[in-house]
Amino acid sequence: IELVHVTMAMTAGTPTSFPMSNHTRERVTVAKLTLENFYSNLILQHEERETRQKKLEVAMEEEGLADEEKKLRRSQHARKETEFLRLKRTRLGLDDFESLKVIGRGAFGEVRLVQKKDTGHIYAMKILRKADMLEKEQVAHIRAERDILVEADGAWVVKMFYSFQDKRNLYLIMEFLPGGDMMTLLMKKDTLSEEETQFYISETVLAIDAIHQLGFIHRDIKPDNLLLDAKGHVKLSDFGLCTGLKKAHRTEFYRNLTHNPPSDFSFQNMNSKRKAETWKKNRRQLAYSTVGTPDYIAPEVFMQTGYNKLCDWWSLGVIMYEMLIGYPPFCSETPQETYRKVMNWKETLVFPPEVPISEKAKDLILKFCTDAENRIGSNGVEELKSHPFFEGVDWGHIRERPAAITIEIKSIDDTSNFDDFPESDILQPVPNTTEPDYKSKDWVFLNYTYKRFEGLTQRGSIPSYMNAGKL
Amino acid sequence: KKKFEPGTQRFELHKMAQASLNAGLDLKVAVQLPPGEELNDWVAVHVVDFFNRINLIYGTIADSCTEQSCPVMSGGPKYEYRWQDEKSRKPTALSAPQYMDLLMNWIEVQINNEDLFPTNVGTPFQKNFLKSVKKILSRLFRVFVHVYIHHFDRIAQMGSEAHVNTCYKHFYYFVTEFGLIDTKELEPLVSAQPR
Ligand SMILES: Nc1ncnc2c1ncn2[C@@H]1O[C@H](COP(=O)(O)OP(=O)(O)OP(=O)(O)O)[C@@H](O)[C@H]1O
Repeated sequence: IELVHVTMAMTAGTPTSFPMSNHTRERVTVAKLTLENFYSNLILQHEERETRQKKLEVAMEEEGLADEEKKLRRSQHARKETEFLRLKRTRLGLDDFESLKVIGRGAFGEVRLVQKKDTGHIYAMKILRKADMLEKEQVAHIRAERDILVEADGAWVVKMFYSFQDKRNLYLIMEFLPGGDMMTLLMKKDTLSEEETQFYISETVLAIDAIHQLGFIHRDIKPDNLLLDAKGHVKLSDFGLCTGLKKAHRTEFYRNLTHNPPSDFSFQNMNSKRKAETWKKNRRQLAYSTVGTPDYIAPEVFMQTGYNKLCDWWSLGVIMYEMLIGYPPFCSETPQETYRKVMNWKETLVFPPEVPISEKAKDLILKFCTDAENRIGSNGVEELKSHPFFEGVDWGHIRERPAAITIEIKSIDDTSNFDDFPESDILQPVPNTTEPDYKSKDWVFLNYTYKRFEGLTQRGSIPSYMNAGKL
Repeated sequence: KKKFEPGTQRFELHKMAQASLNAGLDLKVAVQLPPGEELNDWVAVHVVDFFNRINLIYGTIADSCTEQSCPVMSGGPKYEYRWQDEKSRKPTALSAPQYMDLLMNWIEVQINNEDLFPTNVGTPFQKNFLKSVKKILSRLFRVFVHVYIHHFDRIAQMGSEAHVNTCYKHFYYFVTEFGLIDTKELEPLVSAQPR
């Protein structure tokens, strides 16, 4: 039998000749995604393994090694490949990690600094409470999508290493970014300078473009999801992982509320300084609520008419406004009111005269925050990059150059750029579990790349306070 | 052996087996033991992966594979499978869903047994590893048999023929490459075999 070419459809809809429950439908989608993903990765992994072997041969030839030495090198190489195969069969669970500190809180759980017990490596562990998610089946979906995005190991996206789940939670083990997030940075500063804004917006343009090229739309770009690495460069977290789970993304949430009179007359009459203060005071609460904030969401995302990747550029416009002005353009006292303002952006998107910004910056914001058809970026990312606001940006090397604001960190597990969070009981063991131990453990990602494996096998140093017996 | 005629079950099977996912990789080549690799490790990682994927596939048809639809675990009228394990020494006739449940649980226990499937670097495999693997793979194969012969309409309805076919093809190449399933056991799907 010949192999027949069939284009891989990501998640093709299913015809309904006999009834299928939603539950089954969801299972089918996840199974298909997982299989498609498995086979496209199999090709990659197969090729990569061959390349590694060839590289070794070439290198040995160049070094002019004697046959004996070649044999030795080959067997060393083979041993590493075997170790990699073993790692792929390993199951991981919560007890393979030591929790060091809570570093962030989100709508569905929290983020902790953790250390893998056997290697001593430091990671950020995102914990999502399953009970808080609206639809259970989405947990599986999230995992399938995550598996795909795990391959996105470009410089612009937070690297994912493992994921596993138990009865209560879903755990995502990812690279720890010691620089903190943009939300925290914006709360510390009144506003950013135009130069700093140019830096962060340029890097975020490249980050968003990177995920667009993978075929993904983020839909939930906001300062909380822009993380800073040890050198102060931007990385994107949370590619729409929980998007759609939050009420703020669901139009129904606003349907019956839009007729309510605006409840924030007081807010409307504030000057920009008071507005910024009020915004910053309420910002954390907003970040932790399961409702979420509609501040950064493009208007077309709320409408039933459909949206495309351009919605992410709208969000970037809102962030840029917030960086320069001190609060986002549609901020209000309630999500309903914010929603109303987003939908009426033509009237509500205004610039306070008392906070002067350059014409170029204003022009770019207005080109981001406009109808999708006219939005900058609709003719490709080049259109965006050549906007006058980005004059002087070295697009090809921005990541290698010094960041606009340098980050000070003392060690790989320094958490000084994060706020303090109280301990929570999210990791308390679930009582009366009689399941065999392996059931609470999960397979390492199917598409675990060798590149990443290399970084994982070297032993990290144990931070000093761990030796002192701190949790 | 009888040749199959158009319209017979086997002929349909043959036709169905054609759609498959990407052609970017020759699966026959992909299953071969890479130079210098340990056979047991290579086999182990495949067994775990196959289990995970086949389990997933069965999961998609599980609600149409019931006591009523499949009161006996079979692969067409000619093949009936009975369950046998430590508890039930005598091969027992079971419904397909019951059989599948026992089968999947049994395999999960096998592959999670550190003695049988060691994951720690340096821990050797037991001498009887390949023998145990043969048993696991023969049983996994029966899932394909049952799904192909009794539930392919559902697979087609869901648009996952290509997915299942690719997985089956991969499985078939793998077990034949290393002689891990007896030819007799492969018989029920002989017409779906990739050539
Ligand atoms: N990889 C990481 N390294 C360091 N800190 C992180 C990392 N991931 C998340 N954080 C911190 O945890 C906070 C919350 O994380 P995140 O925004 O991913 O969770 P969330 O709010 O639940 O997600 P969502 O955007 O879906 O609401 C972030 O704002 C950030 O401060």
